[in-house]
Amino acid sequence: MRVHVKLLATYHKYLPPDAEGSTYPVEVEPGTTVEELVASLPVPGGDASVILVNGRGPQPGQILQEDDVVCLFPAIAGG
Amino acid sequence: MYGWNGKVLRVNLTSGEIAIEEVNPQMARDFIGGRGWAIRYLYDEVDPKIGPLSPENKLIFGTGPLTATPAPTGNRYMVVTKSPLTDALSCSNSGGFFPTEMKRTGFDLFIFEGKAERPVYLWVHDGEAELRPADHLWGKDVFETDDIVRAETDTRARVACIGPAGERLARIAAIMNDKHRAAARSGVGAVMGSKNLKAVAVRGTQTPALAHPEQMKALCREVTEEVKKAVEAGSALRIYGTAYVPPVTNEVGILPTRNFQTGVFAHAEDISGRVLREKYLIRPKACYGCPIACGRLTKIDEPPYVGEGEGPEYETIASLGSACGIGNLAAITYANYLCNQLGLDTISTGVTIACAMELFERGILPESDVGMPLRFGDADAMIEMVRRAGLRDGFGDLIAEGSYRLASHYGHPEYAIVAKKQEFPGYDPRGAKGMGLLYATSNIGASHMAGDTAYMEVFGVPKRLDPLSIDDKPAYVKYFEDIFAIVDAAGLCVFLSIRHLFESTYKLEPVRISRMMEYATGAGYDEETLLKAGERIYNLERMFLVRAGFSRADDTLPPRMLQEPMPEGAAEGHVVELDKMLSEYYRLRGWDENGVPTQEKLAELGLL
Repeated sequence: MRVHVKLLATYHKYLPPDAEGSTYPVEVEPGTTVEELVASLPVPGGDASVILVNGRGPQPGQILQEDDVVCLFPAIAGG
Repeated sequence: MYGWNGKVLRVNLTSGEIAIEEVNPQMARDFIGGRGWAIRYLYDEVDPKIGPLSPENKLIFGTGPLTATPAPTGNRYMVVTKSPLTDALSCSNSGGFFPTEMKRTGFDLFIFEGKAERPVYLWVHDGEAELRPADHLWGKDVFETDDIVRAETDTRARVACIGPAGERLARIAAIMNDKHRAAARSGVGAVMGSKNLKAVAVRGTQTPALAHPEQMKALCREVTEEVKKAVEAGSALRIYGTAYVPPVTNEVGILPTRNFQTGVFAHAEDISGRVLREKYLIRPKACYGCPIACGRLTKIDEPPYVGEGEGPEYETIASLGSACGIGNLAAITYANYLCNQLGLDTISTGVTIACAMELFERGILPESDVGMPLRFGDADAMIEMVRRAGLRDGFGDLIAEGSYRLASHYGHPEYAIVAKKQEFPGYDPRGAKGMGLLYATSNIGASHMAGDTAYMEVFGVPKRLDPLSIDDKPAYVKYFEDIFAIVDAAGLCVFLSIRHLFESTYKLEPVRISRMMEYATGAGYDEETLLKAGERIYNLERMFLVRAGFSRADDTLPPRMLQEPMPEGAAEGHVVELDKMLSEYYRLRGWDENGVPTQEKLAELGLL
């Protein structure tokens, strides 16, 4: 099953070289949770990162669906 | 006094008289400084019902007790006056180098009253002040004015001035300092123009002694080292500036697009900090004493967009860019330079042009009135509208009035995306409900600087709140409004302060900032007295509005935000449930159902 990982702001540095813009596809097993996917990524965990699934904050233990966009960026004061 | 100079410079522009006044120590402590002192003076001296552009209005520049101290980002000043855009209050904030230099002249506050018969500028240096003729400066742009005034006074002087927009009383005119920094919002530049005050130049070597200098130095060093470490590890604000934000707000579906018709913009990545860095960045630029350096020194060379200057920051990109449907970052940057040169607020200018574009596309605004087509996405038309607004040239005369007056002129005020007639900043509140309540209730009209709950709702600082929920939002809005009042009044920048001077647990407790305030002033500050002072400032500002005739009916949002569900993206289907939040917010504030502070609340804050 394919989902899309989008890395913004300083997390650009974790993008694979062939990423299109800020996004790249990742194959996951059906039933994979958001936490499991995030743990496999090279980004800082815990409160240091904001994690969104399709633009919204995921529920604890949320199961990924086909073509979900999992977006991560550092928690920083901005704007 | 420690931390404060304890002196106010009062300049009567009608008579030319300049007076130096001592500050009451109790008032100093109770209202912190800058923004807080300014509202105390404005409230006591100005009838809130007067015309904002009349000589009866007063224009106040204020630094805080931490301005020009070792406190990192101690580089801010506030401009406080009655606003010609909102008819409410202006509290516009700017950094750079002017504010520090202003504090070093030996005064904390400049109060301008009356109106000069001919254009003048003020030159303040080490405790002395003089008004000088400025007929030769009238008509000059911001960059020229800054250069000439420094040449005539001291090349090391720092200058705040207005451009052609302020001279022409554009209600969206800014007061620019250090050429590229802006006390931008609420038309403060028009108030300066109405007084025939073209510029203020400052130069000084005086800094007030600190109450506990060694402890202050140690704490400031600790904070600065912490920030430097974070920056070295890779800080988005240093690497990309605030321009890193468009893809983030786009992801959560709140990037203002085509006059807030949607929160999703197809070209969000094209107008991001990543592109800015790759194509146009010369180097990051810091304000005085700032370890972050979110400013951008940039250069564009994509004819016809050619130039060098500072910016753009996120708010400018959202307003002159996505809100106008424009995904060309060179064009946005060029328009930013033009706003700086003419002395325009980029937010209100961009969102007003976006409003005009919507009116045009709906057939409400005829092409014959504009003299050219004005469609979303047309970068050249956007830039031409900026130029005309700054000069009040042709149709620009209406842009210069802001969205509300423009849209009302054509019989459709509902297309003005404003709160209290001030244009929204870069967060569509349908997808960040706290921001909706903030815009609606703010004493200065829609503004992210009034108490930015987007820190939590969008950026996850100190923890993420669900932006689509209204739960707890009234409490957070109140809290952010009060802590922003503290930071503004102290003379610091919110970027560093909120992250590093407040304890980042569940709420943002003012732990380090209260110690800094105490080390600087020795006036007896702790967390509780500081929070109370923030609340006191906010309530006195509210009372200025109450006396001006504002009430619950004014604490509202455009129908688009209340009735038109967001059409797409992560906030699809959402509106702002304002009424559900408003009564709870008033209750938490100790205000009545009409949004008026109760006698009990005023007594508690010592405001009776």
